[in-house]
Amino acid sequence: MTGMLEKIDDFHWRIPRSYKAGMKVDGLIYADEKLLKDIYHDKALEQVANVAFLPGIVNYSLAMPDIHWGYGFPIGGVAATDIEQGGAVSPGGVGFDINCGVRLLKTNFQYEEIKDKIRDLVYALFSDVPSGVGSKGDIRVSAKEEKQLLLKGAKWAVENGYGCQDDLECTEESGAIPGADPDAVSDRAYERGKAQSGTLGSGNHFLEIQVIDQLFDRDLCDRFELDLGQVMVMIHSGSRGFGYQICEDYSRSMIACLQKYNINVPDRQLACAPVNSPEAKQYIGAMRCAANYAWANRQCLMHLARKSFERIFSMSWQKMGMSLIYDVAHNIAKIEKYVIDGKEKLLCVHRKGATRAFGPGNPALPERYRESGQPVIIPGDMGRNSYLLVGTKKAEEETFGSTCHGAGRVKSRTASTKSTNLNTLLKELESKGIIVQASGRGTIVEEAPSAYKDVNDVVSVVHNAGISKRVCRMRPLGVIKG
Amino acid sequence: MKDYEVIEHTADIGIRVKAKDPASLFKSAGLAMFDIIAEAPHQLSGSAIQQEISIKQEAGNLEELLVFWLNELLSLSNTKELIFFDFKVNKLEGDSLQALAFGRPAKDCKVNVEIKAATYHGLRIWQESGLWQAEVIFDV
Repeated sequence: MTGMLEKIDDFHWRIPRSYKAGMKVDGLIYADEKLLKDIYHDKALEQVANVAFLPGIVNYSLAMPDIHWGYGFPIGGVAATDIEQGGAVSPGGVGFDINCGVRLLKTNFQYEEIKDKIRDLVYALFSDVPSGVGSKGDIRVSAKEEKQLLLKGAKWAVENGYGCQDDLECTEESGAIPGADPDAVSDRAYERGKAQSGTLGSGNHFLEIQVIDQLFDRDLCDRFELDLGQVMVMIHSGSRGFGYQICEDYSRSMIACLQKYNINVPDRQLACAPVNSPEAKQYIGAMRCAANYAWANRQCLMHLARKSFERIFSMSWQKMGMSLIYDVAHNIAKIEKYVIDGKEKLLCVHRKGATRAFGPGNPALPERYRESGQPVIIPGDMGRNSYLLVGTKKAEEETFGSTCHGAGRVKSRTASTKSTNLNTLLKELESKGIIVQASGRGTIVEEAPSAYKDVNDVVSVVHNAGISKRVCRMRPLGVIKG
Repeated sequence: MKDYEVIEHTADIGIRVKAKDPASLFKSAGLAMFDIIAEAPHQLSGSAIQQEISIKQEAGNLEELLVFWLNELLSLSNTKELIFFDFKVNKLEGDSLQALAFGRPAKDCKVNVEIKAATYHGLRIWQESGLWQAEVIFDV
């Protein structure tokens, strides 16, 4: 595979469609020489080539610099299909954790002011925010209300007292994508999602207290009211069991579509159907329910985090300035318009481990971000950094308005577990001023910083390639893991 | 129990299982998956805490049936809050399966990992040296 990669420039690499019979477009990878060394290690590039088989795919099968081996799509993969030309939607191109995403909120605190309270805060958050495998929350939703939650997403949470109107404006799709169809959701999915609203989950999901340690764009930081030393909160979670079941239900039914619609893909996890087919319409309706479930979930999680801060500081969250910067989805398929070969086209954009990164002036953005471009939140590993970026016009031109979504794994969970000593790791993190609380000790070693690429390298590529722009960098102070 | 091999995968985890026939292969895959998910309590205190669940699945072929079976187990484990520790495959004919799964309350087990789903990526069932073998990648 390595020999098939053609260098275009320092940040762009091509897999020509001649690599594999059946590829409809070239693969295009955003990476530099350093990151490519990791990318070569697994089967991610082969998966970029496989995605190029999707019916109706336009321009390229894209991969962001955090790309790694997934199932079907690579993690860090972006693909857009032309709906008028039989373009397909693939549940595997969204993934099981539909609308897994991340939100960032600020506080008015400076680290120096509250450094003695960080440990109390971490313990409070760990106790107040349900986390871990199969975790259940106190936020119970009746069967009747559940449909409202699926239609209204984060708005449902706000209407029920978990946040404010302003939060919705600072959430992708205002926290609810239109077109959700609760009737397309199986009873099993309803059952599986019950009692999981307002729960973090496990694996790579987290809640972190962070501090801004580097400013890259002073003007944008001023505009977002951010400064060095400021304490931030980041939340990473998704649609929990509800989304997993929807993906499973439709991955299963779409295998039959491969024959029905005469679709040839090299991996059954890429099973798909034309966006205009009844099967795809049903999937999209159900997928949007899961997306809205996830936005409601992150809204509830943020509410719980604000309450923990209120408990520790005996002050209202408004007084602590805990407003939401933005919330982004990084596992989703969206219907968006782009100009392809001079013509405006309606495309189905799959972002599997990739973040929307709309540039300044995009009408989808709320007024407050119309000039700056969309805030893009990039979580890193628990020992290094996370980033706030903004989207660019160039991303809209090159990558269907998409950028990276995180650091990207480089080491398997088993390899990380074998090579990491829990106590040594906790001491190392503590020496950097990072306090960790996790439901499962195994999660900490699986998620050790050495299991990830350096997010600084990943962000450097998307910044230098111009598909997003660095605003500021954070480092973790307290980490709550499932 | 470690009657399976782990397939290294950057983000997720996979298993390779071997058995004398397809029914045993399905049982082994179920056992391997729940061995990754949780540790059963050492002291199994009587039958009262066990639950038996009947499962029926049909698919287009044996490989897809294996994924359907494993995903059904994950889904039931999630909704019924059980960890399955044994299986009895009563019937595996063509591409349909009837089986029993025996579970314990998840709260009595040490749950280590959440497996979101069994995937079709890299899915294989084949016969070699008189044994049936299967590989499955899970999304974790």
